[in-house]
Amino acid sequence: MLVVYQDVVNIVQSKFSSTEVVKCIHLNVSPVNESWNEVHRILALVECNSSYALFVFITKKPKPSSISDLSVETAIPIDSNFSCDTEPIDNCQSHIIFIVSFRNRKLQFKIEIGVESSNFASEVIWSKEVSSSNKLDFNWLGKYTCATLDQNSKKMSEMSDQCSDIPVLRHQLAHGQAASNRESILRYQLKLKEPEYTQHQEFSIFVGTWNVNGQPPSVSLRPWLSCDEEPPDVYAIGFQEIDLSKEAFLFNDTPREAEWLKYVMDGVHFKAKYKSVAVTRLVGMQLVVLVNSKHYQFVKNVSVDTVGTGLLGKMGNKGGVAVRLELHNTSLCFVNCHLAAHVEEFERRNQDYKDINARINFRKQPPSIKDHEHVYWLGDLNYRITDLNTNQVKTLLARSEMITLLKADQLNQQKERGSVLLDYTEGDITFQPTYKYDLNSDHFDTSEKARPPAWTDRILWRGDGIYQLAYRSHMDIRISDHKPVSALFRSEISVIDQSKFRRVHEDLLKKMDKLENEFLPQVMVDQTEVTFDLVKFREPQSREIIIANTGQVPAEFEFIKKLDEATFCKDWLRITPFCGTIDPGEKCDIKFEVNLERELDKVYDILVLHLKGGKDMFIIVNGDCQKSCFTSSMATLCRAQVPLLQMTEEQRKQAENMESRVLYSIPRELWLLVDHLYRHGLKTRDLFESCALSDELIRIRDWLDYGSLDPIPGSVQATAEAFLLFLSFTKDPVVPFEIHDACIAAANNYQNCRLIIQQKMTDIHRNVFLYICMFLQEMLRHSNDNGYDAKTLASLFGDILLRDPIRNSKPQANRGKANFVYNFLVNDLSSSLIPNK
Amino acid sequence: MANRTGTAQRPNGSTQGKICQFKLVLLGESAVGKSSLVLRFVKGQFHEYQESTIGAAFLTQTVCLDDTTVKFEIWDTAGQERYHSLAPMYYRGAQAAIVVYDITNQDTFGRAKTWVKELQRQASPTIVIALAGNKQDLANKRMVEFEEAQTYADENGLLFMETSAKTAMNVNDIFLAIAKKLPKNEQATAQGGSGQGRRLAEGDTGAKAAGNCCK
Repeated sequence: MLVVYQDVVNIVQSKFSSTEVVKCIHLNVSPVNESWNEVHRILALVECNSSYALFVFITKKPKPSSISDLSVETAIPIDSNFSCDTEPIDNCQSHIIFIVSFRNRKLQFKIEIGVESSNFASEVIWSKEVSSSNKLDFNWLGKYTCATLDQNSKKMSEMSDQCSDIPVLRHQLAHGQAASNRESILRYQLKLKEPEYTQHQEFSIFVGTWNVNGQPPSVSLRPWLSCDEEPPDVYAIGFQEIDLSKEAFLFNDTPREAEWLKYVMDGVHFKAKYKSVAVTRLVGMQLVVLVNSKHYQFVKNVSVDTVGTGLLGKMGNKGGVAVRLELHNTSLCFVNCHLAAHVEEFERRNQDYKDINARINFRKQPPSIKDHEHVYWLGDLNYRITDLNTNQVKTLLARSEMITLLKADQLNQQKERGSVLLDYTEGDITFQPTYKYDLNSDHFDTSEKARPPAWTDRILWRGDGIYQLAYRSHMDIRISDHKPVSALFRSEISVIDQSKFRRVHEDLLKKMDKLENEFLPQVMVDQTEVTFDLVKFREPQSREIIIANTGQVPAEFEFIKKLDEATFCKDWLRITPFCGTIDPGEKCDIKFEVNLERELDKVYDILVLHLKGGKDMFIIVNGDCQKSCFTSSMATLCRAQVPLLQMTEEQRKQAENMESRVLYSIPRELWLLVDHLYRHGLKTRDLFESCALSDELIRIRDWLDYGSLDPIPGSVQATAEAFLLFLSFTKDPVVPFEIHDACIAAANNYQNCRLIIQQKMTDIHRNVFLYICMFLQEMLRHSNDNGYDAKTLASLFGDILLRDPIRNSKPQANRGKANFVYNFLVNDLSSSLIPNK
Repeated sequence: MANRTGTAQRPNGSTQGKICQFKLVLLGESAVGKSSLVLRFVKGQFHEYQESTIGAAFLTQTVCLDDTTVKFEIWDTAGQERYHSLAPMYYRGAQAAIVVYDITNQDTFGRAKTWVKELQRQASPTIVIALAGNKQDLANKRMVEFEEAQTYADENGLLFMETSAKTAMNVNDIFLAIAKKLPKNEQATAQGGSGQGRRLAEGDTGAKAAGNCCK
């Protein structure tokens, strides 16, 4: 094997130049999704100037013998976009899928589990690790890819532009896939480590086959089944033609099954007790598998199947019956067959063999014959001696010229040609042909037909650690025209040492835990508490924190919601970015921006920074807030003796106490703004459309909050905007929320509108409302200058005076609000000023 | 070897059982040694000056029982009082909790009792709770008597052990005891489990997967 491997390496190497070195190869690879049986591939890892590439070769033969047998199918550079993985195949333990991903391409190969595959995989993984640290040049690949694969190389160049998906891919590999594949990785690793926790124990296996020519059992089978001194551990006994009746053929029903089984049980070795593991039959083919009862508890997962290949290619007069089982840790399969008859039908027999292989399905894992570790193939294979007539055969037999005869044996010839039982072994035949005898005699056929003798009844095997101890026929059983044949094997069965298995299993789990924990995303933040300077109304400030990826995998972070919260942060905070991915060793700045638009003593929140698939970190944001008239309630402002920021604690309490005396009929601050507009702004065109500088607004805010004898520090437009802001952010809207619907309903009738404000609004709110409306009426007297008409102002102020708790929650109501306000812009307000007592 | 899907099987056919995945949360006053216990259990390490946890650390560890394999997804929470309100994010949907106190500090035992009460009220009704009296290596400075804690644990149906992350005493044992006590029904083995969506916040799909085990 080793020699073959090295030969192929040399052949593969000859495809490359001297600077391109073949590091290792993998033979017998079949691409998934192709008819796997005929298309052979070889994978090769090739290095050139410290850059590695994985080559896929198409090979004409499983083991190429010359350079012309190989052609390059694909060459994949091993760089940061390259990754490989394995995946188990359902129902199959002998093979796994080896997956190679490169950018958007994914190639899958079926490879056999073993030393070669684990070596190859580790070489590839190693080369990938080496590659990530180097600067790589893959120009040398050009000559292979362009020549062979126009489409693919084009596809590859297209894909090289799409770099954005790579972090995602790497991320998936880092944990997503690892987690979901945990189970399969474990299974694969356990399989690889099998030698560490299993030992070989030898079992004797007796395999027998006999074509009984339709005869009922009448003689003891002891001479056949008990011919050895010691009792075997396992019996597998196959019969053919136990019933040649029409009933058996048509209805697959025969009393002979039970009869032969009884004779078998009576015929087995007396020194041991046997238990039946499986009995299966198709028409005349019967297979009985027994084990020494002391091993019975170690037999698991028994399954049987039968395949007919006779008339119409499916009837049961010919075909095979099979039993599979696991004995300790080794899977065994026994196939008893009866292949097509007649000398010239050897190709038909080859076909029957292929059909049995293809169609036997145990509906367990593994489902087919070939996937078992030990396979015993027995039966009336019906291959004859060819090109020799009866007399010649008899003469050669008399002269014991077995070699000549066996050369003329069709099975040997067909096997040699690779047409049947390709990788099966048969022991040396030293016994007489087992067919065809006169009944109750040891004479070869003396009838008119005088068929030439033949070794129709054979036993072959496949698998490691199987040694044949005997291969013989049993001449003293004479009731059929065939003689029974048997073979005794000493087979190495893998037996698990439970304590060792446990240790290996736990060890693996620990390693996987370690790996998994190591590959969890890890980040550090430079601060877990962010404190803002004094937070003031509409004066945004920001702080930055740095998230550094200190782990080995890309970290996908996101600020997440706390339980029972609708958003991941409060409305006064903005986080940019609030999610993202950071590559290992990289950093990301996160900006926290606070913007206060309501009355709070302080801002405080704990943010949860979550790493996908990993830990959470808490980040506290806090800061004290400065009071402002813009976010106070009008009731408080009307009770304030001095500007907000001049207040003593005592004065504040008094202002906030609703029992205190009302000092102003409207907030002083509102009066200051409106008064300024009244004096200087009535004739200003588009007074409310301008956009003041935020500095200017901040100055006006402070001028109001601190109180000042200086003139208002801003343009008339800035004052107008401050006025709108004031109305927009006071704790309560001018027209209380709860009467908005009533207002909208009354909007068509001025008298009703008047009634509402007279009856349903507090004095302060009504005063403010009417005060603003009167100011707006004043504005309308200067329409020619300022360009406003009643409808425009009503629409602008409807939204503000009747503002919703959540901005624009009911935009369809805006029209109603505007209509309501409109009433108060076009009617005489003098009567409304007097409360209706 | 048949029917290996979903479960690791001993190659001779007897099921090595299911891999059950459980979410476990550690709660307790700050500086009682929650992170140290986890670090000892998962990595076999101990640091005299373990940094304070600000957030919820996450690690996984597998424990082999006779017939099953239990994989813990461990959430090690911040002990500081100011993060208390965030604890439900982690214990909601957890199948197991270790409430840790420091045997040299009576206050931390009182705090542990509050945590137990909160878990009994707010967490899954089938949650397995273990009480760990940590820092057993400082028994000469003991302020909480073993019997007192044992009695409290018995009254409340808690597993109880005094542990030492420093000497490793009872660290594996307490996790193992929890693993044994957890119900290993069909749903707990639901494969793939909550691997990705570990959090049990509302609307999080992972919640269902992990939460199933205790329904």
